[in-house]
Amino acid sequence: MEKGLSRLIGRRWADLAATRLMFVATVFVASVAVFIGIGLLLKSWPILEARPLSELLFSSVWCPSRGEFGFYPFIMGTLWVTGLAGIIALPLSLLSALYLAEYAPNKVRALVKPALDLLAGIPSVVYGIWGILALSLGGISIGFNVLAGGIVLAIMVIPVVTSVSEEVFRTVPRDIKEASLAVGATRWETAKHVVMRASLPGVAAAVVLGFSRAFGETMAVLMVVGNVARAPSSVMDPAYPLTALIANNYGEMMSVPLYDSALLLAALVLLVMVLVFNVAARLALARVQRRWA
Amino acid sequence: MNETCISIRHLSVFYGKSVALKDISLSIPGRQITAIIGPSGCGKTTLLRSINRLIESTDETRVSGEILVDGQNIMDRRLDVTALRKKIGLLAQKPSPLPMSIYDNVAYGPRIHGERDRKALDRTVQDCLQTVSLWDEVKHRLRAPASRLSVGQQQRLCLARSLAVRPEILLCDEPTSALDPVSSQTIEKKLVELKKDYTIVIVTHNIHQAIRLADYVIHLYLGELVEHGPANEVFEHPKEERTRAYINGTFLADIKFDKELDLKGTKCPYNFVYAKLALDDLAEGNILRIIVDDPTAVTELPRGMEADGYEVLNSNQLNKTDWEIVIRK
Amino acid sequence: MGRRKMEEAIFKCLMVASVVIVVGVLLTMIVMVIWRGLPALDLSMITQTPKGGYYLGREGGILNAIVGSLYLAIGATVLAFVISLPVALFLQREYIGRARFAGLVRLCLDILWGIPSIVYGAFGFIIMLYLGMRASLLGGIVVLTLLEIPIMARAMDEVIRTVSADLKDASYALGATRSETAVKVVTRQVLPGILTAALLAFGRGIGDAASILFTAGYTDRIPTSLLDPVASLPLAIFFQLGTPFPEVRERAYASAVILLVIILLISIASRLLSRRLAKHVVK
Repeated sequence: MEKGLSRLIGRRWADLAATRLMFVATVFVASVAVFIGIGLLLKSWPILEARPLSELLFSSVWCPSRGEFGFYPFIMGTLWVTGLAGIIALPLSLLSALYLAEYAPNKVRALVKPALDLLAGIPSVVYGIWGILALSLGGISIGFNVLAGGIVLAIMVIPVVTSVSEEVFRTVPRDIKEASLAVGATRWETAKHVVMRASLPGVAAAVVLGFSRAFGETMAVLMVVGNVARAPSSVMDPAYPLTALIANNYGEMMSVPLYDSALLLAALVLLVMVLVFNVAARLALARVQRRWA
Repeated sequence: MNETCISIRHLSVFYGKSVALKDISLSIPGRQITAIIGPSGCGKTTLLRSINRLIESTDETRVSGEILVDGQNIMDRRLDVTALRKKIGLLAQKPSPLPMSIYDNVAYGPRIHGERDRKALDRTVQDCLQTVSLWDEVKHRLRAPASRLSVGQQQRLCLARSLAVRPEILLCDEPTSALDPVSSQTIEKKLVELKKDYTIVIVTHNIHQAIRLADYVIHLYLGELVEHGPANEVFEHPKEERTRAYINGTFLADIKFDKELDLKGTKCPYNFVYAKLALDDLAEGNILRIIVDDPTAVTELPRGMEADGYEVLNSNQLNKTDWEIVIRK
Repeated sequence: MGRRKMEEAIFKCLMVASVVIVVGVLLTMIVMVIWRGLPALDLSMITQTPKGGYYLGREGGILNAIVGSLYLAIGATVLAFVISLPVALFLQREYIGRARFAGLVRLCLDILWGIPSIVYGAFGFIIMLYLGMRASLLGGIVVLTLLEIPIMARAMDEVIRTVSADLKDASYALGATRSETAVKVVTRQVLPGILTAALLAFGRGIGDAASILFTAGYTDRIPTSLLDPVASLPLAIFFQLGTPFPEVRERAYASAVILLVIILLISIASRLLSRRLAKHVVK
């Protein structure tokens, strides 16, 4: 009796201890994002104090040795490259995912799906190498510019977005697809009006996931985008995204005043951009869902 | 009025290697309610889904034979399936509202088929919702999502959605099995009202429903056509022993079981062996009722019993997992 | 009628074309990298560390980077696993209770997932400066751990959510406590999914370059302590590609092939593992 009781107490205690431990782990992990934000803010405070924010964000002059830190070219570089990647990757991914989910014979899907999952795991350096190889293929060279960066980035994002959206499309219940077919809709009409609509939240999540990766991608883009600190005005111009700015200059920044602070501000700006994109996508989605659900 | 509307000739359907329907030939009369009855897994739904060619959406389905609707073979590869499906409405087992508003659900079909005129759409939506007696309940919230309706209302909405494309034939796949008794009654009442304008084919495992609604009956068993004919003939004087058994079997409350056996939790072939052992103890003509929850047993056990010369009176789904199988020695 | 048919046909063509483009481009990518890399790949690449003048095109290999990458990724994956599993288990209803808190934690994890790896790298560097550490194996592992946690925790959370309440109830009905149920039943049931999540994170970890650029450093030697700097495959590729010597650039392609092979092995391993381990799973 004694023994049984003490065992029970022991088990209860173990349960409680495990719960506490899990709670601590969860709180720690959930607060990492806040730590990162605060850390970057503290470190970039010197430059934020020394220069007005509007000048930092909208000035085009980047000359650290003269103390001029204008992030505009880099912000635009990131937006151009990511935007172009989106324009290329989104239609290709969504159409491919729809085909795999709604049209493709089982055999094709069984072949393509694992391949996509494998490709989604390939390191970005390899995509960058491919970019360089493809660019140096002679003759049809498009040069190191926004277009090259956008294409490489698009190809990097496509497997992730396609694979996740395909899974989402396949969760749409068969009943409602057949309900649409049964009133005489074609398969495409069913896909367009019913499947896409029913899976909007999941697809939005897939797109946000893919694009968060695109915003923050460093190596692959760095290798092909040209790295010229001027805001691009066409896709054939070179660009210099924020990620590349940080990666290229981090080692040599110590000697120049405010330089390290500026680079950490670049990291902060990047973080804020990704956050804003995430939150905006979530809000837009919530709004659309309220109208439909 | 009773002109043949759908005639099926030598229809066989295969899913991969298994046969779902074996050489079915019959005619379905127009502007009447035809009920397809039989135990679950006997091919009722497959037959229904052949008529609007929805079976094509299942992978590895093969179909042979032909189905004539208004004299045209719908199995013809050149046929425009969307036009066919416009002519043949479907009411599914589970209410399946599309992820849009009540109004858009009903207007979905007409819009697909090119109706753009706002006023005409409004009129169609109102007409169809009135036909299914849903208009008064929803007229103030046509823009609300269809998913907020109750299940019974959803099913009526689905019926309205099928009617909105002005079909000639209405296929119903156990349309009341997911509904409460009151909603079921409403749907049944609507179907009876609709038969003056539509040819209705209804799949049901509920024999009482078939007796209440049907003018014409088709009895399928394990993919084979057992019997078909006008309802009063089939129900009162079935020509086939299996039909009689099926009809009687569903009035099992009146039948005395000589032995009952609960085989839940056993797998094939053990449940088969246990059932055989139990039958050995019974006298000729005695009736054994077994309960199984193994999905393969539901199809395989009756086949095995029949092969061994026993008569399977009925196999019937009791709830989500359990099935009863009634066997006469 | 004609218009609808046409729309169907056009979009079907577009879809098929997309699939062909996507699959085609991705295949060409792999084929191109392997085709350029294989000729330069020889045994010394994977058995030797760089000798003097390696970056000028002389003798040596990238064993330092291979071993370094494995150290970094294995260390980070183990650490991340130890932290992510409790988090994922805690996100179950029994523990977290209020759905709102769970939603908040998941939102945080999603945001962490989206944070660029270079930002992790910069943050890690700040912390290391603050602690007076130099670029080292330990620093690299810590930063990679942070990078892997959201990937692993979120993927584990997704599989753990699929465990049915019935299964858990069966365990509670036998008098098991929450943590006994979590460890002995839930974890057991989704073991394949959990290991797949870990391997997914491992793959991300071994391929990431930006986060360890400043935190792990680079060296030609194989590290002997946690505080030594360490080389890594992605950075080896990046640096070799940056040299003006064609022989060295060829070696970058060869290194990429090695990295690809590792990723491929991980992918195959995760498939085999989940198939092997699936046998205790209650369907």
